[in-house]
Amino acid sequence: MILSENFLQALAAGLMVGCLYGLMCTGLGMIFGIMRVINFAQGDLMMLGMYSTWYMFAGFGFLAFLGTYAGPIAGALLTGPLLFVVGYYMHKFLIVHVTGLRTSDSEGEGHYAQLILTLGIALILQNGGLILFGSEPTSIRTPMSSSAWVIGPLWGDFVEVFINQARAVGAIVSIGVAVALFFFVTRTRLGKALQASADNAEAAIYMGINVDRAHHIAFGIGTGVTAIAGGLVAFYYPFQPYVGIEFVIVMYAGVVLGGFGSIIGAFWGGMIIGLVQQMSTLILPIQLQNTAIFVVFLLVIFLRPQGLFGRNVERV
Amino acid sequence: MERRTRILRSLGILATIGVIYVTLVFLAPDQYYQLMLTLVAVWAVMGISWNTLSGYSGLISFGHAAFFGLGAYTVVLLQVHWGITPWIGIPLAGCVGALAGLLIGLPSFRLRGHYFALAMLAYPLALLYIFEWLGYNEVAIPMERTNPVAYMQFGDMRIYALLAFVLLSLAVIVGVLIESSRFGLSLLAIKQNELAAEAAGIRTLRWKLYAISTSGAIAGVIGGFYAVILLVVTPPTVFGMLTSAQALIVTLFGGISTVWGPVLGAAILIPLSETLHAELGNVLPGIQGVVFGVAIVLVILLAPEGLIWKLRDFAMRGRETDVEDRLSAADVADPGPLPDRPHALTGPVLLQVENLSKSFGGLQAVQDVSFDVPEGSVIGIIGPNGAGKTTLFNLLNGFQAPDRGRVVFDGEDLVGLRPSGICARGIGRTFQVARPFRRLTILRNVLVGAYVSAETDEIALQHAREAIALVGLEGHEDRIASGLTSMEQRLMELARALASKPKMLFLDEILAGLGQTEVNRMIHVIRAISDNGTTILIIEHTMQAMLRLADRFVVLDHGALLASGPPAEVVKDPEVIEAYLGKRWRDRA
Amino acid sequence: MTTRRTMLATAAAVAMTLPFGGAAFAQEGDPIQVGLIAPMSGPWARQGELMRLGAELAVKDINEAGGIKALDGRPLELVIFDAGDSAEKAKNAAQRMVSQHPDLVAVTGSWLSSFTLAVSEVTERAELPMLTLSYSDQITDRGFKYIFQMPMTGTNQAKNSLPALMEVAEAATGERPKTTGIIADNTASSESFAQPLRTGEMDDLGLEIKFDETFTPPLSDATSLIQQARSQRPDILMMLATAVPDDKLLLEKVNEFRLGGGRMPIIASGAHIGAPEMVDNVGPELMEGVMSVVGNWGAKGQEEIIDRFKEATGEPWMTQDSIATYGDIQVMAYALEQAGEADRKAVAKAIRSIDLDGEGPAQYYPGQKIKFDEAGHNVAADLVIIQWQDGVPVPIYPENSAVAEPIWPQQ
Repeated sequence: MILSENFLQALAAGLMVGCLYGLMCTGLGMIFGIMRVINFAQGDLMMLGMYSTWYMFAGFGFLAFLGTYAGPIAGALLTGPLLFVVGYYMHKFLIVHVTGLRTSDSEGEGHYAQLILTLGIALILQNGGLILFGSEPTSIRTPMSSSAWVIGPLWGDFVEVFINQARAVGAIVSIGVAVALFFFVTRTRLGKALQASADNAEAAIYMGINVDRAHHIAFGIGTGVTAIAGGLVAFYYPFQPYVGIEFVIVMYAGVVLGGFGSIIGAFWGGMIIGLVQQMSTLILPIQLQNTAIFVVFLLVIFLRPQGLFGRNVERV
Repeated sequence: MERRTRILRSLGILATIGVIYVTLVFLAPDQYYQLMLTLVAVWAVMGISWNTLSGYSGLISFGHAAFFGLGAYTVVLLQVHWGITPWIGIPLAGCVGALAGLLIGLPSFRLRGHYFALAMLAYPLALLYIFEWLGYNEVAIPMERTNPVAYMQFGDMRIYALLAFVLLSLAVIVGVLIESSRFGLSLLAIKQNELAAEAAGIRTLRWKLYAISTSGAIAGVIGGFYAVILLVVTPPTVFGMLTSAQALIVTLFGGISTVWGPVLGAAILIPLSETLHAELGNVLPGIQGVVFGVAIVLVILLAPEGLIWKLRDFAMRGRETDVEDRLSAADVADPGPLPDRPHALTGPVLLQVENLSKSFGGLQAVQDVSFDVPEGSVIGIIGPNGAGKTTLFNLLNGFQAPDRGRVVFDGEDLVGLRPSGICARGIGRTFQVARPFRRLTILRNVLVGAYVSAETDEIALQHAREAIALVGLEGHEDRIASGLTSMEQRLMELARALASKPKMLFLDEILAGLGQTEVNRMIHVIRAISDNGTTILIIEHTMQAMLRLADRFVVLDHGALLASGPPAEVVKDPEVIEAYLGKRWRDRA
Repeated sequence: MTTRRTMLATAAAVAMTLPFGGAAFAQEGDPIQVGLIAPMSGPWARQGELMRLGAELAVKDINEAGGIKALDGRPLELVIFDAGDSAEKAKNAAQRMVSQHPDLVAVTGSWLSSFTLAVSEVTERAELPMLTLSYSDQITDRGFKYIFQMPMTGTNQAKNSLPALMEVAEAATGERPKTTGIIADNTASSESFAQPLRTGEMDDLGLEIKFDETFTPPLSDATSLIQQARSQRPDILMMLATAVPDDKLLLEKVNEFRLGGGRMPIIASGAHIGAPEMVDNVGPELMEGVMSVVGNWGAKGQEEIIDRFKEATGEPWMTQDSIATYGDIQVMAYALEQAGEADRKAVAKAIRSIDLDGEGPAQYYPGQKIKFDEAGHNVAADLVIIQWQDGVPVPIYPENSAVAEPIWPQQ
């Protein structure tokens, strides 16, 4: 009985956290999976998303009037456009110098410039965040984070599963945003143009697409989506300026697991990582929870670098 | 000889730095500044460690904290649990680092590019959590009262600073030795193009493993030393992201692929960030990280190879472009028509291609191609765009496996061999897109090729000089590749392929993009190589120059053999004219 | 001496220097520097602030009373160093402290046992006496000569408090608790407190440990930890965190899993759980009944200083952090009077020979006694158990400190 309750509890937590990770991965999937830009600062952009949600709801508090459910959700969603702008200009002024057509002829060098440049941006964001926001963990305080919907009692009286409200709300919004993004990319003109230019810039140029601008937009969307996920995570997760690094591995693991170039794949990849993280506590000490993710991540890139849902093998 | 001068010069620079360093240590007003100088040396060593793997081989590591942290914990745990002094612990930390390098390298070197970098990121973070779980969340170096010196414990911070400099000197010497040996050049070749390096006969995995274990050993040693000055070792301090990042940042900022880069980077960045942290740390707590971040963003955008190269370019600006250094007009002038070679095609068959076929999906890229290459001849494979020349070439090189057919070289079937195996049997090649090591001299560029076949470094040097002389670059050996004209770069590329003393040379569009006089010059060089006894197979798109150079043409169209024979006859073949120029021209001919 | 000090005047810009008294009191001579090295930033910043408030009040009291009389009334000057949010930063701050402030005669700090362990590695080598309110047994286990641990060590706190708590429980419910579960972070003080339970030294209590979970602060998610508590249902939960954000996450999860409101009595270790902001952060309902074992607390018999502290700072009560640091500065002043010279070694010697009972600085410590052994333990130290009652953490044990009766949480 106790075991089944623990299992169900971890499963429920894994599914909810998995949705949130899935959304994060979807954002990175746009940038890393499709455009092949390795953005080290993705976790830190997500951190900005967390703080921006917090400022909108609690810090400056202009969304507080919406109440403790709608307020944070609105904050997280509004964070998307805000970080879209950040991502758009970050790509326009910085990332573009080390990606895309300009570096396509210099294989090794291109990767490395991207890695290092975005590492620099990550350091600036983390430590700039420390200066601006301080190092104390912050959280978005609502009754949601400390209350649960209870499923049960099941099997007699004992087994009850607690569905944390903050996570549940976050998971539902995540699914909504991921579905919206999926339809945007696959069904709209702009979305298809973005995917075309990200996938094969040269071909897109012949199709008359403004590839540079499309790349800015795709990067902005990737940033914005991850930032929304960050805002939703902040409902239940205390954060500080260094929080990004914890999620960078989660995100890359998810995207690689899900396979390149597939938005849906990235979502499922994130979901699997969430499940692994939560279910690992059933057998491993809590201090090794993140180690479990790293191990899964390493196994994936060693054994199946094309991912579980990948549509193409890594180009040589 | 060249190597000895390089090493001596490096030792001279090291001695100068040593004098400055020691002076600063004794001028430093208090322990805090002495500690800062110690940290400069520590991070310079860490940078050299990172450079040894990532700078030379181009495999970016985000995980050097793994080696550093294992080194630090080796020293502190040995002393805590078994009372083993750091004087022994630090060398052992180096062994642990080297071993960790091997263990991490073996699986991770299957990965390239992004994947390698991401995998390396995961190792130190996983170790961080494991060490916390093991209960090593803070381990202090036990204080020794009876015999502190035996336990590397000194009241005077200056002694630590001097010890750090000793370690720095060792790391610099290791770095210089690597740089000036075939080890360093092999790593550079891997960085430039791992496949090509493999094709040039370099055993890439072995060199990469050497690099990561050397690098791990250096990081382990300095991590162990850091533990001694740190007093208290915690997982985030030694396994944290900033540790890996700092190693990479001092190197990139100072200059990549040179031992002096990390030294310069650390000398500037560490005092800057420490001072800012001390002065402004209360008000702006993350200022250190922001400075590092801004430094590397600026470096990537403005001086992607680092400060030292930028400074060097600046200093060299007057000299480097000296026009008289270049091959003079007379050198490149047309040396007149080539003498006839009536017996060129009479040698025994060296390479025999039989019914070679390859298709991609439904497309038949190469179908049923057969031809012979007699020893000592120059054979030109020509054909219009899309004729299947490149695919044929890749089949011959071992980059792709044929569906059917045989390639017999010197009596042995090459099908199924890896590029390095084919190279080892005496086939050299040039690449369509030349990628010289821009920062190295012509001689060192060519040496990379020479190491493949040469037993010793002396023989390699001799082969390299012979190859340079053969292509007519004699007297230019010490010029830096980045200052070469495209003609000179081609010649250097050719010399590099020749330096491995191949029996046969595959040349991939070596004439493309050259001017008329340069083409003339090049075909004379190729003829000279041929006369020297090397059999040559050239792929070319343009036919004109080849008419004079080749002893025989093999014409491909739509993957199939269209014609084969003496150039003068082949160009009159109506089918060849049609293939090249369209039906209209055929009718006129 | 003077030239050295002039040189340091520039270096002192590094740390926040807070001179109290000074010209206003027209005292003779240069001020004598005493240090406070505590977290002023990061998750423990609030504890550092409470310590600062205590230290500042002590320096003000001493200077207003005429400074150090044995030294011609020279005033004290408090120099504050930020230990930051990690052991490494704490140690770096200590290194800056000893290299740039060679005139310091004594310091107190660094709240978190882990920080104190790191800082004292430096102060010991510099032969600078350090007083500490940290609990970890390791602090005085290393054979150091310049460390003085004012409270009872964590292990002794557990041994001395848990039997008393058993009695309280038995008196309230009619039976002794039989099972417990431990949720502890991996910092040194939590480990000290949990150690006698884990090693079986306290088996005679008859407590069975149903689960024992360790986490690394800052905690990011308490779900699986509290799920343990839910499925195992121990009679008492040992919640050995050290940082307020971790307390908050754990207590919220207790509430979410419907274990709050006395369904599961909670015993903590340390003063963080009695910090005034817990009321705002977690809410008084969630705190009600939570008990904590602390090394010091503003308690019965200390009303005078508590009232003055509350008036001077606006804080609602005087926590361990403030009163212990207030006491530490008074101990330093007392030692300076005894030593008769502003020299760190002389001060250390004077501290070592302190033997006080109910007088002088001893009145700021539970049991009101100070006497050190070789290792630097305050062998006369006592402890205090506090409990949240009606939104205020009040001392409930021992009797000579208690201002309220203990209430055993039950439904």
